[in-house]
Amino acid sequence: MPTFFDTWLPFIYLYGVGGIFFLIGMIIIRKSGAINLNKKKHRYWNKVLIWGFFYFAAIHLFFTLLALYW
Amino acid sequence: METHSQTIQTFHNIGTSTDWVVMVVYFMVIMLFGSYFGKYNRSTKDFFFGRRRFARWLIAFSIVATGVGSHSFVKYSAKGFEHGFSSTMTYINDWFFLPLFMFGWLPIIVYTKIRSIPEYFEKRFSPSARFLATVLLLFYMIGYIGIGFLTLGKAAMPMLPESFSLLGMNFQVTLMGVIIFIAVITGIYITFGGQTAVIFTDLLQGFILLFAGFLLFFLGISYIGGFDVFWNILPTEWKMPLAKFNEPSSFNFVGIFWQDGVAGSIGFLFMNMGLIMRFMATRSVDEGRKAATFNILFMLPLSAIVVGNAGWVGKAISIVSPDIVPPNTSPDQIFVVVANIVSLPGVFGFIMAALTAALMSTVDTLINATAAIYINDVHRPMKKFLKSKILTSKQTDKNELAAARYSSVVITILGVISVLAFKSFPTVYEAHGYFHSTLTPPLVVAIFLGLFWKRFTPAAVITTFVSGVALMIIGLHDPIVISPFDHGIHMDANHPYSYIRALYNMLVCVIVAVTVTLTTNWQEQIVKSLKKKSNGNALIYTLIFLSVIFFLMILFSLTALSIQFVIIILMMFAVAIASTYLIDYHPFEQTEGLTVWSVAKAKELFKGSKINDEEGEIIKVNWKKKDGDDEIVNFSQNDMNKMKANIGDFVYICDHRKYLGGLKSIHAVVGEPHNEDGIIYLNEEELLNGVFEEGKLLTAEKEM
Repeated sequence: MPTFFDTWLPFIYLYGVGGIFFLIGMIIIRKSGAINLNKKKHRYWNKVLIWGFFYFAAIHLFFTLLALYW
Repeated sequence: METHSQTIQTFHNIGTSTDWVVMVVYFMVIMLFGSYFGKYNRSTKDFFFGRRRFARWLIAFSIVATGVGSHSFVKYSAKGFEHGFSSTMTYINDWFFLPLFMFGWLPIIVYTKIRSIPEYFEKRFSPSARFLATVLLLFYMIGYIGIGFLTLGKAAMPMLPESFSLLGMNFQVTLMGVIIFIAVITGIYITFGGQTAVIFTDLLQGFILLFAGFLLFFLGISYIGGFDVFWNILPTEWKMPLAKFNEPSSFNFVGIFWQDGVAGSIGFLFMNMGLIMRFMATRSVDEGRKAATFNILFMLPLSAIVVGNAGWVGKAISIVSPDIVPPNTSPDQIFVVVANIVSLPGVFGFIMAALTAALMSTVDTLINATAAIYINDVHRPMKKFLKSKILTSKQTDKNELAAARYSSVVITILGVISVLAFKSFPTVYEAHGYFHSTLTPPLVVAIFLGLFWKRFTPAAVITTFVSGVALMIIGLHDPIVISPFDHGIHMDANHPYSYIRALYNMLVCVIVAVTVTLTTNWQEQIVKSLKKKSNGNALIYTLIFLSVIFFLMILFSLTALSIQFVIIILMMFAVAIASTYLIDYHPFEQTEGLTVWSVAKAKELFKGSKINDEEGEIIKVNWKKKDGDDEIVNFSQNDMNKMKANIGDFVYICDHRKYLGGLKSIHAVVGEPHNEDGIIYLNEEELLNGVFEEGKLLTAEKEM
């Protein structure tokens, strides 16, 4: 069985450090007004962006569990 | 079959004559298909950008061939064979920078009407920043083309004999020989087709690639004995979706995260002119966002399976039948070896044709994009500098279209030459990783800070390009400086820190950029006092001369490491002062509409008047011809009311047949209304650009 170092650490690093980049990006586009949540289309995009982050995290989580326990 | 060394086994003469016939037919069909769309090129706008008219689905699918080709079957199958499912990780780490791309970079490149990334640097900073960006970007693009050719060569080699006889003479089949032959074929339809041809051939190939990749997976699983057998054969560590944290040095998670997930993703989304031009060919920014989202959410995960599965199947076969697939098979040949084993003659030819055609898609997209950079950032500025005779816009366009075609040929040759720099890496994957880590950071940092930090100055960007690159060169000469950032990765003496050097390179560029920006006031004070001196100009030229000497000292590593760092600090000072002195920079004008903080203003500047955001209907109209050659179209007042359009608003007019994906469409400006409901008046030029057909309905939609 692979160790924590080779299983969950890459996952945590990916969505931890990657998550920081993502969060900074979301904050910049919100603060700058590039995404304007008063607009219906932009509210849709805001949801898609957040959903996409968790979608990819879920894919990696699912396949890690599958590799380890199935 | 041949054994190069004790460990790696290579193959030749794989495939049958049926496979070659299938491949030749496939290529002929693709080339004919591409050249058909050459008729849609009426100007350089069409040749490079396809006139900003395509629907999202068409672009999303056409990007598959570009993405899959560049992140090829060869290199991911190689890593799939060596390390298992973690070969997919580079396809599933592109989301982190999407907010900044979709709401920062994409609207700005569209609304500022820039034709290349260096042009952005001129608008945002100065012509000298544009010049340096052009040099770096051309290195990046030509290197990328070289990687494409190397992969194509490696894919073709196993199918070819070791040597052949012609007219009584014996010729050895070499990798470079194969690459040159492929380059000639690749150059043909890109030279005569242009962006529209590339988009449509990529669309066709996108579908074929997905089909071929899944077909191979299905055949491979069946060959092994079903999915359960396949799953249970593979050891647990081969099933992990992410690689081991920091080992081995040739494939580790943390190095690849910084090289691909950060530098690569930003490079791919923000710097890859081939991909950016594809998004710029969508009919609106919102369609571009949809194409990008669809591609990253759905097409990339599917592509990850498509490109890597031959390696996984190869690994499984090598466990159960090592006599069929020896465990020491050359990783870069595993795709071809597995495809040959699991498929029938003819099917193998089809799969190989799909693979090589996908790679050609990538290469031709990149050649097209590099030609765009050449025309925009070298040809036009040179013509301006040389004060060539003034031509009409039609003559200029004809002249530039010819220059674009000739430059495509030269770029193809340079791409072939650049293969020499990557040939020595054990796999294409490592060559590509090293390439990304080394060439993307300065531009990535410059684009990012330019786009998101209003205070970032021309002096800072130029110093980043010069001193940041100098610090990167130190990392190339003395990889020991990278070790504090290596996360415990072992340094391979032959190819030190192929991936994690991206972190070092980005960090040094950011440090230079931020330091110079934060000391702008000091630089301005020094420049003020220099301008008061009678010998101010002479002092500045001395600083520039010294900077060149310093850079050469670093480039050829002429002093000890510690002295090189001192030299770089002096160089930073000299370049920052000289840039501040010489560049006439207006912080307000050169950030308005050019940073994420003023995207709305960029949209307004694009339109030239106030934005009309009212949501209207999409209407159907018949067209009638009118005189004139402007970009004005005329609707009835009732139709304008339905669209909520006013005079001066932008409209998108398109053939109503959705399956054409916007191929027959134009953008125009609403003019004075008439009183014939359901009729749009178009002039000759608009009809030719839109390739509209007599009697076919059009749809019209207000854009802004």
